[in-house]
Amino acid sequence: MLRKLLKHEFRATGRVMLPMYLILLVTAVGSNLAGRGMLDGRSDLLRTLGVLIVMAFGIAITGVCLLAFVLMIQRFYKNLLQDEGYLMFTLPASVHQHIWSKLIVSSVWFIATVLAVIAACLVVAYQGGFLREFLDFLRYFLEGLRKLKVSEAFNGTIYLVEFAVLMFLSLVAFSLQFYAALAAGHSQANHKLLWSVVWFFGIQFALQFAGSLLIIASNNLDLFDRLYFNWDPSPTVAIHVGLLLAIGCVIVYGAIFYAITTFFLKKHLNLE
Amino acid sequence: MPVLECKGLTKRFGRATALDEVSLTVEPGRIVGLLGPNGSGKTTLIKLANGLLTPDGGYIAVCGTAPGRESHSLVSYLPERMAIPTWMTAKQLLDFYGDFYQDFRREAAEEMLDHLGIQPRQAVKQMSKGTREKVQLIMVMSRAAKLYLLDEPIGGVDPATRDYILSTIIGNYNPEAAVVISTHLIADVEKVLDEVIFISQGRVALQSTVDGIREEKGMSVDALFREVFKC
Repeated sequence: MLRKLLKHEFRATGRVMLPMYLILLVTAVGSNLAGRGMLDGRSDLLRTLGVLIVMAFGIAITGVCLLAFVLMIQRFYKNLLQDEGYLMFTLPASVHQHIWSKLIVSSVWFIATVLAVIAACLVVAYQGGFLREFLDFLRYFLEGLRKLKVSEAFNGTIYLVEFAVLMFLSLVAFSLQFYAALAAGHSQANHKLLWSVVWFFGIQFALQFAGSLLIIASNNLDLFDRLYFNWDPSPTVAIHVGLLLAIGCVIVYGAIFYAITTFFLKKHLNLE
Repeated sequence: MPVLECKGLTKRFGRATALDEVSLTVEPGRIVGLLGPNGSGKTTLIKLANGLLTPDGGYIAVCGTAPGRESHSLVSYLPERMAIPTWMTAKQLLDFYGDFYQDFRREAAEEMLDHLGIQPRQAVKQMSKGTREKVQLIMVMSRAAKLYLLDEPIGGVDPATRDYILSTIIGNYNPEAAVVISTHLIADVEKVLDEVIFISQGRVALQSTVDGIREEKGMSVDALFREVFKC
């Protein structure tokens, strides 16, 4: 059932995101062409046109990032908490499957947006010989990697994996905090959006308060020293520990947001 | 086994009690009118049967199971609102229902859409309000479900559309299933009903067959409704 939900969610969101990527690509190609003479040209008309094209590219980058963010919130709100919720919550699918379908699809569009923006910037920067320079850079980079010690290469790879995992989980938790606030706010009889905003800031405040308490308590009680028996790790290990702790924290608060979202959608669903 | 069963079902919204100790059963093969004035608790009962609300007390079961994922594959629900995504085309809507419901009869739905002159590529948002309501009903009635829960299917539409909706319901429901039609427009639906449930201020005021009312009370369901709910 999750596969079917994902299929229809991609269909609903793709019709918005894909044309936006196309606009990004077109403005990137336009900016590339503008950089090849239009901006330095003698004609005022061509110079103005070049500036406008470059501005359009900047707006397209901002627009595509904003759209991915707005779409993440709008799909959850409109598809589950507005009139369409009557259809969605009477499908033979669980609340968990609904939440995961929204999470997976919005995360995919966030990642695709980052890749699209990078690709668009490469298109703007492309000039004759660009490909050769890029391949040269890759060759130097790989040669540099070969000179690394085994332990350095190993740790570097693990850092990258840990960082990628941290980024992905942060992305999921980022979406979940909006879902939790919307689900909780829409359990109220009236002023649902206002309550959602109150819940959003309430959750933020509660988490920051809990985090501050933990830091104060750990400082006062020498918590880390007691836990690690005055363990003095090397910088390499300390970075691993730091990244893993950050991943743990993101998992904990992501799980809290997920539990809030599930609880309100299962037990206190209150569609208008 | 009843397709819909409630025992002592209670639902409160804050201090207001929407349903108060409601007990009723709906057997298969019956077309049942859930009748009551506005705010009597009809929609709340239907939402509870669909798992869109959680009861505060009592018990509700659809085909012997509590409302949830399993019962959703047995119930075909027409909400009082336009719930189908309006950006979808008629074809995408058929794909959607076909993907999620194994009992969806695509050919029947295509035939009804064709009869209305709706093109497969036409988006729901391009249709008139009346046509959208007809399309939503076609999707609901094209399922071979065990229970059809239709919340105000004829509310807010012109008399010709009412006739179309009622004939679509009668012509397409699974004869082994039960149909529950919630409405306060009694005169229009009376001719298609086997049974009625009068619901007043969250309580069941009467459950009887239509023939029983005519024989025992010597009046139509519409006349009895006006008498019971006289202001």
